[in-house]
Amino acid sequence: MHRLVPEKLVTVITTDVLEHRLVAAVRRRGASGYTLLRAGGAGSDGLQSGNLEIDTNLLLKVILPPERMSGLLDDLDALIGQGYHLTVFVSDVSVLGHEKFERPMQT
Amino acid sequence: MSAFSNLLIPAVLFFALGFIARLIKSDLRFPPDLAKILSIYLLVSIGLHGGVELANADLGAALAAVIWALVLGFLLPIIAFGLLLAMRRVEPLDAAAIAAHYGSVSAGTFLTAIAFLSSQGIDYERYPLIMLAVMESPAIVVGLLLASWSRGRAAKASASRSEDTGRGQGHLGDILREAFTNGSVVLLIGSMLIGAIANPTAMESLHPFTTDIFMGMLCLFLLEMGLEAGRRFGDFRRVGLALGAFGLVMPLIGGVIGVLVGHLMLGFGVGGTTLVGVLSASASYIAVPPAMRLAVPEANPSFYLTLSLGVTFPFNVVVGIPIYYQMALLLVGKA
Repeated sequence: MHRLVPEKLVTVITTDVLEHRLVAAVRRRGASGYTLLRAGGAGSDGLQSGNLEIDTNLLLKVILPPERMSGLLDDLDALIGQGYHLTVFVSDVSVLGHEKFERPMQT
Repeated sequence: MSAFSNLLIPAVLFFALGFIARLIKSDLRFPPDLAKILSIYLLVSIGLHGGVELANADLGAALAAVIWALVLGFLLPIIAFGLLLAMRRVEPLDAAAIAAHYGSVSAGTFLTAIAFLSSQGIDYERYPLIMLAVMESPAIVVGLLLASWSRGRAAKASASRSEDTGRGQGHLGDILREAFTNGSVVLLIGSMLIGAIANPTAMESLHPFTTDIFMGMLCLFLLEMGLEAGRRFGDFRRVGLALGAFGLVMPLIGGVIGVLVGHLMLGFGVGGTTLVGVLSASASYIAVPPAMRLAVPEANPSFYLTLSLGVTFPFNVVVGIPIYYQMALLLVGKA
């Protein structure tokens, strides 16, 4: 029987110019790591083809313990408050080997 | 005849091919990142060319070109902003973001203009290459100033919502740093410096890279830009007819100003004057969009990207360049 532990998965989709700010927030809020993909799509900001430097989105996934999530969400909320277009959603996930999700990244 | 000769340059034909492929819903698509690679190639190669010319340039003339590039970079967004506000079709913050694009330049349009001049056998001054590098960033500063002015005015109009102040702008210093350290700007200016200081004999070995394959790479790049423009053609309806018209009128205004500056202020011949016209007429899709996204998040990117990539770029490539050339001919030709 595998020992699965519940964690939170925060997914953010937004323009890739915000990369530095998002990564800084993820580090500051004590996440153990993150995964970042370049993405294309369309929405309130119009088409983001992902083909040019200027119209590429990013898809950021962070798994972190539930008690550290709200700090990160505060930071994301602040960005939305500044007018940036962020798609943010949270899912419940179960992880294998949960110890590594408890250790914040080296800063 | 000469009015259509621009359409028969391979690069422009490839642009048309991309555009049409998209309109007929072909599944033609570049592999991911190829457009970014082509864009890096073009910036490096144009930078090296410019650097070599810069090394042999007359300092006074180069300085005059830089100063006028700055003047155009600061002046054009203000004209665009005024025009957009007078049209009353977009919010002031959208107008500020769009205006910044029109003060900056499009390297793709500039290179197409060089292909056009070469195909006509017209020689051109090399100083516009320096202007291209200089004009990428000043418009961003003007865009930021216009945006903060618009925010101030909006805050005054709704003084009760004081919590709204501080929206978007972040740290001005950070945004300026990011604008001037934009990857493309660093690549262009860095390549220019390398071209200027590198041993000329060693530079000869780069000739196949920077010159021989250049036009072919430009064709591929314009094919992708055609696909991109075609993709955005659908967004045209969202932008609306009036704003679309702005995307056609503003380059003509910029073109006239550029041609006048090119000949009367800088004393260029037909080729150089045409190129300054093209620089002033074109709208950025390199350094300005990310800067505006970061600094003016309230503005809708689909406005400025559709105008820059979907309206003004195709207009300049297909129709604009021959027009600015004819203007330059009128001004310079008989003098």
